[in-house]
Amino acid sequence: MSLIAKLLKRNTSAARIAGFALSNFLGILIVSVAVMVYTDTRDIWSDDDSFMHTDYMVLNKRVTSANTLGVGSSSEFSAAEKADLEAQPWVRRVGEFTSSPFRVYASISSGGRGMETALFFESVPDGFVDVAAADWKFDPASGIVPVIIPKEYLTLYNFGFAGSAGLPQLSESLISGIPLSLYMRSEDGTRSLKMEGRIAGFSKRLNTVLVPQAFMDYASERLAPGEKAGASRLIVDVSSPGDVAIADYLKEKSLETAGDKSGSSAAFLLRVAMGIVMAIGIVITLLSVFVLMLSISLLLEKNRVVIHRLLMLGAPLARVRAPYAVMIATACCFSWAGVIISLFLLRSQYAGALEALGAATGGLIWGLATATLLTMAVLAVNMLAVRRKVKGAWRLRMQ
Amino acid sequence: MKHTEEIKLTGLLPSVFAREEMPSSQVWRSEVTFRRGGRYLVESASGGGKSSLASFIMGARRDYEGKILFDGVDTAAFSIADWQRLRRDTLAYLPQDLALFPDLSAIDNIRLKAEISGEADMERALHWMERLGIDGRRDFPAGKLSVGQQQRVALIRTLCQPFDFILLDEPVSHLDEANNRIAAAIVEEEARRQGAAVIVFSVGNPLLIENPEKLNL
Repeated sequence: MSLIAKLLKRNTSAARIAGFALSNFLGILIVSVAVMVYTDTRDIWSDDDSFMHTDYMVLNKRVTSANTLGVGSSSEFSAAEKADLEAQPWVRRVGEFTSSPFRVYASISSGGRGMETALFFESVPDGFVDVAAADWKFDPASGIVPVIIPKEYLTLYNFGFAGSAGLPQLSESLISGIPLSLYMRSEDGTRSLKMEGRIAGFSKRLNTVLVPQAFMDYASERLAPGEKAGASRLIVDVSSPGDVAIADYLKEKSLETAGDKSGSSAAFLLRVAMGIVMAIGIVITLLSVFVLMLSISLLLEKNRVVIHRLLMLGAPLARVRAPYAVMIATACCFSWAGVIISLFLLRSQYAGALEALGAATGGLIWGLATATLLTMAVLAVNMLAVRRKVKGAWRLRMQ
Repeated sequence: MKHTEEIKLTGLLPSVFAREEMPSSQVWRSEVTFRRGGRYLVESASGGGKSSLASFIMGARRDYEGKILFDGVDTAAFSIADWQRLRRDTLAYLPQDLALFPDLSAIDNIRLKAEISGEADMERALHWMERLGIDGRRDFPAGKLSVGQQQRVALIRTLCQPFDFILLDEPVSHLDEANNRIAAAIVEEEARRQGAAVIVFSVGNPLLIENPEKLNL
């Protein structure tokens, strides 16, 4: 060790530096873990749907035994009920679900195997569906009908049906590529239509089989001219989804929201918890930075005379800063390495479970990036403090 | 390496003196030039500002009016890096408080300077310690030495670097005449070897260099 370094390292406290490294480690670890876990599990909790804004709500009346027996109030919404809903302050706009007044059969055939099922269609006004306009249009000339089906259907098939029936599991991309043969027939069986369907997407929030309004109008006109079914479901664009007034209103009118996952409140709680955890981590990190800056300031203040004398002898500033810089960098390196190792260890604990859930897996990168960025920030702040302090010792302080 | 040939002071005055009636001075508020190779003795009464003058020339303080020019260049424009370079290869300075590191041994104090300036001859330094009679104290912590011994260590340390000007602030105030003469001879030899100027500051017991140009503060 050079004599300069020996002089400058006088008064350093290993305990203080270790204390910084430890608190810095804890702070950065907490923030990075929060970021990592949050990004990893975001997919599980979020009910973000590319086809439907989170501000949309699907409403229907509660089905009672009276409905089954055909007595009592209708499950359809009357014009007055719709108007009442539209008048609520939290409603931006209301759209009606149109159900198909004809029968629908869909079949898939691939590799010699075929499947057929009776189906139904519903449509909502185009403004409520967030699919690129090119993918969500119906052109009678081409005869291809884009369809959005609930993601649950695929899940039911893959994990419920396929296993028990000895059928292969299907991925989203695979099934999107398979053409769907659609056969539609009027109630009285006199008219029919054949079309080709294509799955435009899977929705987590929409529990219906959705087709473009244009197709619904086209098919109804041909298969059930003049029939107009009332809307039994409404899609509502809500200005503040969390509003208590909404829940109260729905309760009062015995309405149900479809596709409303209890997950959304869990997701909200998760987000709040993550926020709190991250805030705590950031506070600890800030405190650790403060601890280091304080001990560096104290050290440089104690060594101020030594530093001034060295500078009077012509020692370059960089050489005087070097021992402190090395000290800070070493402490930061230790805490950074600790965080990185901990992140890898922690993630290996839950990576398996994560894969089973099919959640996103980018969390580790984000955790590592957070740890590295925070470490660099801590390093920079402290290096600047050293730079300022050493420069401050250059001029003789007027006593 | 480029040498600095002259240090010129023009209208220099410590800020604290600005509002005082100053007795006549050959330095303050006038024009003085120190030339490389010259010998100068700056004398003053206590409080005359000699240590301040040394600090101004060394760039350690800026609380003055007027200008200090190094070969015509105003030092006010110098950066910290400029000053650090000048302190390594142009200006050697022995402050009145010696500025030794009391925990380091006498020899380490000198070695430290060699470490910073990068081209000091430790052989010669040891020889100087012998001549000044402190070679027996080389491994003692500087803080445990007598003031006179410390002055000799600090003087040797000051000589251990390349310089064009050596500023010695009361270098022998605690030395007897015999040691004063040895110190003067060593300073003289080294300054001659390097072709440098010697500027001694004193209130009454100056280093006995030969025929210095005297300046009263």
